[in-house]
Amino acid sequence: MTITQIKQNKKGLALDGNVYLPRIMVIDRIIEETPNVRTIHFHFKDTKLNKEFTFDSGQFAELSIFGVGEATFCISSSPTRKDHLECGINRVGLVTNALHRLGVGAEIGFRGPYGNHFPLDLMQDKNLVFIGGGIGLAPLRSLIWNVLDSRNKYAKIDIIYGARSVSDLCFKYDLDTWESDKTLNTVITVDKGDGKWTGKQGFVSEVLQDVAPSCSNTIAVVCGPPVMIRSTFPVLENLGFTPDQVITTLEKRMKCGIGKCGRCNIGNLYVCRDGPVFTYSQIREFISDEY
Amino acid sequence: MITKKINKKDIRKLLMTWNQEFSVIVPTRERGVAEMVRWDNNDISFLDWYRNTVIAPKACFLPQSEVMISFQKKETGYKIEVPRDEHKQIIFGIRPCDARAITIIDQVFADIYDDYYYASKRRNTLLLGLSCSNPYDSCFCTSSNVNPAESEDVDLMFTDIGDEYVIEELTSGGKALLNMSNMIKKVTKADVNRAKEMKAASVEKLKKRVDTKDIEGRLRSCFNDRDLWERVAAKCISCGICTFLCPTCFCFDINDEMIHKHGARYRGWDSCSFRSYTKMPMENPREEKWRRVRQRVCHKFEFYPINLGINACTGCGRCIRLCPVNWDITQVISSLPADISMHSS
Repeated sequence: MTITQIKQNKKGLALDGNVYLPRIMVIDRIIEETPNVRTIHFHFKDTKLNKEFTFDSGQFAELSIFGVGEATFCISSSPTRKDHLECGINRVGLVTNALHRLGVGAEIGFRGPYGNHFPLDLMQDKNLVFIGGGIGLAPLRSLIWNVLDSRNKYAKIDIIYGARSVSDLCFKYDLDTWESDKTLNTVITVDKGDGKWTGKQGFVSEVLQDVAPSCSNTIAVVCGPPVMIRSTFPVLENLGFTPDQVITTLEKRMKCGIGKCGRCNIGNLYVCRDGPVFTYSQIREFISDEY
Repeated sequence: MITKKINKKDIRKLLMTWNQEFSVIVPTRERGVAEMVRWDNNDISFLDWYRNTVIAPKACFLPQSEVMISFQKKETGYKIEVPRDEHKQIIFGIRPCDARAITIIDQVFADIYDDYYYASKRRNTLLLGLSCSNPYDSCFCTSSNVNPAESEDVDLMFTDIGDEYVIEELTSGGKALLNMSNMIKKVTKADVNRAKEMKAASVEKLKKRVDTKDIEGRLRSCFNDRDLWERVAAKCISCGICTFLCPTCFCFDINDEMIHKHGARYRGWDSCSFRSYTKMPMENPREEKWRRVRQRVCHKFEFYPINLGINACTGCGRCIRLCPVNWDITQVISSLPADISMHSS
């Protein structure tokens, strides 16, 4: 298998030809995932757009709070489930803190979808290994639900997910569902468990080594903090995965989301425009190590 | 190419004619800093003092600060408005280096998505070039494939031949402008020859040179040489003035402001010189100064050529002239080692 470049982006909505003009979204549900992460569910205020809007797993959007600013979030819900969109919000900065203060019924701005997406077409009939860490499960769960909604198109599926502590595990309701799904092998780990934790302990890369999924006819998708991504690549290589069989999604500070404002580049590539989804073989060819 | 001319003393009348239908933008000393500003319908003294503006003409399309949307919180939710800016404008006196810069950044703002704000101003603007007859010591456009007296990036090109300007028509838009005035005259063979001499003299005046041969490969082979980049970046104070004044630097930031129930989303120039430019909550890919300086040099001379097949430096010399610590991009380029890959095989 060779994925030279992952392309075919679904383009963002351009209202009146103005791609920067946000659409109004209304928050209709909030789930507190961890003390610092919440998931917001939202829909277009202009209800006919809820049916028209399409995106692919892996794409991102610019969410804004009017008067506070815009920030970049991957869409964490699956495009197969159309009644609303979801984003996981880690409370770290100006906009994310403000998003944590909002309640149901609040209006936010939305631009997108932007960027490329996970290559679902190339994943068909293959074994899939999903490897996630912390809030990195957000883009991954869009893909996982997308795959599970057409389960028979794919072969064996492993999900390996970890967080720093039990209270940092995100999307616990999904984890419960996947653990009880007999068509999947779901392994959950925390760096250090509390007294009650009966699951695995240790870094995701270590648990991956133990699970040791076969590389034959397999694609691995890795999403998490950079330190987890960097430590996972060598383990996958040890397991026999070629760089073409490993896919990840990168995160950078972004403003425009469409390859113009300049800041998210790694060498000549813009993460917003040429990514955020890259194969490990693409990453190895990057001019710069600034990822 | 069709060539015409106009007497210098008729320039004011010509600009007045255009100023009725267009906003005529000319070099002006605003607060002591020369920039392209709406003409006052009178003063043409810039023809005497003007060498080049401090603020590059990119600011006519990408202002230092501009409102993208304004919004108002109402009982029924947010109401959003977009400022409309469809007025036609003429930029008179743009130099060939800066006109080339516009051609270069046009590509960025039309890539995949049209940038609404840039594009709406750009498509309503005609560029009227003025041959450079008095370049600065820091100018090196001839090393950047720009001719100080010729341009294909403008609609009309003016060349000073003494008491008159010879005018070259490069586009139908430029031709239509000339048709608006009865002060435009035919040229004689002597005028054309005189213009040729003046142009040749302009090129002669450009003394500063930099060898950009193999620059992309040279940068590629020293990209990871941290010691080299730390030396190159040593005296930089990360003030960002080179990026703000560079005619091809286009990076911007987007921010909101709101007072009570009224607010606006602005965009303003940003700079890869600033640590905050790439800063994320947990990490910063260009925290170190040498990485930021490397980014600036490599964006112009390596990433741009890879993506768009052109060096994004037009040799205008602003970043040299106005740098507070005399950092000189031409010295940096000249000091780079040869492309290793060309010799290794």
